Amino acid sequence: MSCAALDAGPHPLLERVEVLANDRVAEGVGLIALHAPRIAAAVEPGQFVHLRIATGADFLLRRPFSVHRAGGETIEILYQVLGRGTLDLAGKTRGDVMDAIGPLGTGWDIPDGIAHILLVAGGLGAAPLGMLAERLSARGVAVSVAQGAPTSERLVARELFESVARRVEVATDDGSAGERGFVTVVSERLLQTDRPDLVCVCGPEIMARAVAAQAARAGVPCRVSLERLMACGIGACLSCVVTTSHGRKRACVDGPVFDAEEVCWDGAEVPPRH
Amino acid sequence: MEQKSPRVTSGADLSVEIAGLRLRNPVMTASGTFASGREYADFVDLSRLGAVVTKGVSPMAWTGNESPRVAETFGGMLNSIGLQNPGVEAFCAGDLVWLGSQDVPVVVNVCGHSVEDYVRVVERLEDEPGVAAYEVNISCPNVDAGGMAFGTSCAPAGAVTAALRSVTKRPLIVKLSPNVTDITEIARAVEGAGADAVSLVNTLLGMAIDAETRRPKLARVVGGLSGPAIKPVALRMVWQVARAVGVPVIGVGGIMNGADAVEFLLAGAAAVQVGTANFADPTSTMRVVDGLAEYCARHGVGRVSDLTGALEE
Repeated sequence: MSCAALDAGPHPLLERVEVLANDRVAEGVGLIALHAPRIAAAVEPGQFVHLRIATGADFLLRRPFSVHRAGGETIEILYQVLGRGTLDLAGKTRGDVMDAIGPLGTGWDIPDGIAHILLVAGGLGAAPLGMLAERLSARGVAVSVAQGAPTSERLVARELFESVARRVEVATDDGSAGERGFVTVVSERLLQTDRPDLVCVCGPEIMARAVAAQAARAGVPCRVSLERLMACGIGACLSCVVTTSHGRKRACVDGPVFDAEEVCWDGAEVPPRH
Repeated sequence: MEQKSPRVTSGADLSVEIAGLRLRNPVMTASGTFASGREYADFVDLSRLGAVVTKGVSPMAWTGNESPRVAETFGGMLNSIGLQNPGVEAFCAGDLVWLGSQDVPVVVNVCGHSVEDYVRVVERLEDEPGVAAYEVNISCPNVDAGGMAFGTSCAPAGAVTAALRSVTKRPLIVKLSPNVTDITEIARAVEGAGADAVSLVNTLLGMAIDAETRRPKLARVVGGLSGPAIKPVALRMVWQVARAVGVPVIGVGGIMNGADAVEFLLAGAAAVQVGTANFADPTSTMRVVDGLAEYCARHGVGRVSDLTGALEE
């Protein structure tokens, strides 16, 4: 996961992937497992795949999804049903075939020497953090997780985090698990108690921005995974730009993971609707 | 011309000539959908393309529009990228150098806010040997000054074309906007001002709204519609323009496969451009080339150029 390894990383592949399982894991949230041997072998935590869900001409564009987990010849994707694309995805069953471009994007790029990391997940922001938690834990890095969601049911991937993290603390809007309120209450506390070397955050942009500000106040470097509407997914169309202190960058190839310090949050936009 | 493709088995001659430019086949990329090709090199053998048409290049860097810049619509998509590009110097030092190492003709799409802007870009590119032709973008709906403003009436369209004609001998393709009452008038105006070819259509001005949030889906509210949804409009305009001018017409708008390309040729196009299809399938241009060859084989067409204007009315 070193920087050099990513720079020299494999080129994206166009792969025919087959649905192995597609299960509802919470209200409006699904977990789809895909047989994707070439992508599974190459993907790094934080990278995404660009899926062609429908092949008719009525709706054309692919949909980008973070890879939640990868192992053997399989990748798993956590998705929330938000619109036409994800509704079609929810209807896929075992044996269905799609084509996928991947792995795409920069990934989390965790430097060597990190001893303790704090992962902050808001809602489906847990998706790109699952594989990261697993791989860092396997590498001997202490992992703390702050996770928030509307309800306890929507704390997706909580079991995964609990199985590999040193500590998982949660917050829910309705108080059905952990603190009642936003995940930022938990992340603030863990920043103080656990003194991580690095914070990795994914979730609604307003939450990511708040966590980035907490990390900055605590003097801890912070990486954010940002979501944008995309067309090509490979750097050509310039649909998915993120405004940074180094100009407009493409979420698909220069991201989706950015150093929080370079993100110009005032360019924040309404959440994408898939 | 030597047939590069191992997959094309047809004996048909796919080569075409546009404004003195010999292309190995009539399939080009549409500006703005293919960057300068480097991003697609993992998926496409560029040497099997008729030409690469680059993203629009302006005299200085343009930052483009706010996000969201894209919205999917039925049978197509809206974009309001706003011609974000690093400017002609960075283009010459970066993408153009890379393109020079590829075996494919390079058509540079040129944009500006004023006639002087367009002239500055072309004058700079005249120093570069790797440019085969220019495509003049007088039809982008996503910028406030320039862009489509030049392409929606005859006098400014002719003025830009004439100004560029006076500074280059290279083939000059003028890309036309469909957002006009009579596209044939604009086509005649640019032909009269020295254009060697016209390409059409650029995107149709459109809009999408999210009823749940009551907000426009694009930050700029309006944007350019592309994709299969616009193909009938594009075909009609190609057919009209091909009958109105003597210069070659390059057809673009919703081409997804070889059959779509054949339709544009029959309507009068001498070549085609593939745009939005690249987003759905990055190998789309290759499928169009293969589909054209397959059509020629199936219909006993010896030269693909024989299809141009061969509509039976």
